[in-house]
Amino acid sequence: MPDWIKIATADELADGETKLIEVEDYFLVLARVDGQFYCIDDECTHDGGPLGEGDIEGFCVICPRHGARFDVRDGRAVTMPATQATGSYEVKVEGGEVYVRLP
Amino acid sequence: METDTFRAMLATVTERATGFDRDAFEAFLQRRGEPAWLADFRRAAFDTFASLDLPSRKHEEWMRTDIRRFHLERYTPLPGGDQAAHGALPAARLAAGVQVGGSVLSLDGQCVTSALDEDLAAQGVLCGPIADLAGPHEDLLRPRLMTRAFDPAYDKFAALHAAFFGGAVIYVPPGVEIKKPLLIQNVLGEGGFDAGHQLIILGEGAAATVLSETASLTPGGDGFHCGGVELLVGKRARLRYVNLQNWGSGVWHFAHQKARLAEDAALQWTLGALGARLAKVNQQVALVGPGARSQVNGAMFTEGTQHLAYHTLQHHEAPNTRSDFLYKAALQDKSRTVWRGMIKVEPAAQRTDGYQRNDNLLLTPDARADSIPGLEIQADDVRCTHGATTGRVDDELIFYCQSRGFTRREAVRAIVTGFFQQIFDRITIESVREALGLAIAQRVREYE
Repeated sequence: MPDWIKIATADELADGETKLIEVEDYFLVLARVDGQFYCIDDECTHDGGPLGEGDIEGFCVICPRHGARFDVRDGRAVTMPATQATGSYEVKVEGGEVYVRLP
Repeated sequence: METDTFRAMLATVTERATGFDRDAFEAFLQRRGEPAWLADFRRAAFDTFASLDLPSRKHEEWMRTDIRRFHLERYTPLPGGDQAAHGALPAARLAAGVQVGGSVLSLDGQCVTSALDEDLAAQGVLCGPIADLAGPHEDLLRPRLMTRAFDPAYDKFAALHAAFFGGAVIYVPPGVEIKKPLLIQNVLGEGGFDAGHQLIILGEGAAATVLSETASLTPGGDGFHCGGVELLVGKRARLRYVNLQNWGSGVWHFAHQKARLAEDAALQWTLGALGARLAKVNQQVALVGPGARSQVNGAMFTEGTQHLAYHTLQHHEAPNTRSDFLYKAALQDKSRTVWRGMIKVEPAAQRTDGYQRNDNLLLTPDARADSIPGLEIQADDVRCTHGATTGRVDDELIFYCQSRGFTRREAVRAIVTGFFQQIFDRITIESVREALGLAIAQRVREYE
């Protein structure tokens, strides 16, 4: 059973902000929307490059290079040029700390 | 894994290596004991290295190749053990069943053995470690070492290489034709560092075949290779150069490789890539003299989460030059290849004939091949052709084979072999054809 790994504190991010997290071999984008935390791979499935520096609009992170959008709730590719979902991971908040579950 | 355990593990790794700081460099320089001209060259390169950052992902060459997981400080140019006393290195696949005329073998960047047939030495052929030849052959080497075919300031990896390189020199005097191939082999131990350089110089009218192979002591071995290859092919000289990258699956491989061809020179350059966790190679051929011609053959077969990236250039600088480039890659599992190729034709290079093609065979749905050809043509009487194909294995072909009694695996193996056949047909060295064919066939697995 994979463990929960602490990656941030709940007050580190405000609503509408993202943070790049490096844990084990994963690069992840942690996003906070409407008080909830979500976590997806820091990888745009269009060109394989990072999403980390992209803006977030509603539930979507926007890839800074070509504008592909990914829903932070499930990693789904919402617009071209991306057509495949990026990875998404379960997140929980306990005792003011944010944990992610990696496979 | 518990975060604390992970942190403790990371701390242990960084304690062990010394990285590439100035202290490590000075200690490294001490150990080499080379002539002043070479030490000065290294110092200048180290200054450049220290002043540069690792390449940013915004750079064209690094956009598709993520090296955030690469940690320079985990490796050291000062290996702990005595490499020379290691004993027999794994046999080179390219040289199976072949008598070589000379060889330079190294482990973790230290030369272990080198040899050269007496009759070749008598003709003035040189084949040995740079450290041994730099002193007695300064006149030959100093004007050519990383002056025309390697730029130490190109990026941080090039500068690191120019500061910490070891490696081999092969020199074939004018008019000398060597029938037996010469072998350069670089091996990495677990977590080792290799900055092997190859400086291969063919005088006017000379001919030679050079086989270069890399390997790791353990199949999944970690390691760091920062390499450079310079092929200087003189007027009317003919070089067949074969480069097989067969590191363990944990090795980080960065290389700048370039050939310069003089008037009427001919080069056949064959590359095979099977290993490494991540490879980023700049492979270039400059046709500097009129009538020069090159043929480049690349065969890649990736698996797991390997990432192999090649940035290639066929640079036509003179008229009546011909370049013929074919890279073929077969990909399995979730592996990835990137090919960014360019044919560049200068205004003076009229009647250039340039051909560039990349074919990719995806054996699984998660594999990915990025294929980006390019042409930059400034002359108006040329022929330049380029093409790229990428596709999955045709299920009907597999079914057809199965209906004829093949198992699925045999069918895929036949298809993969057929895919690479065009490359094999272009390789004129029997032992290399067989070695590559065997290595590729062994890699084919069962697929859904």
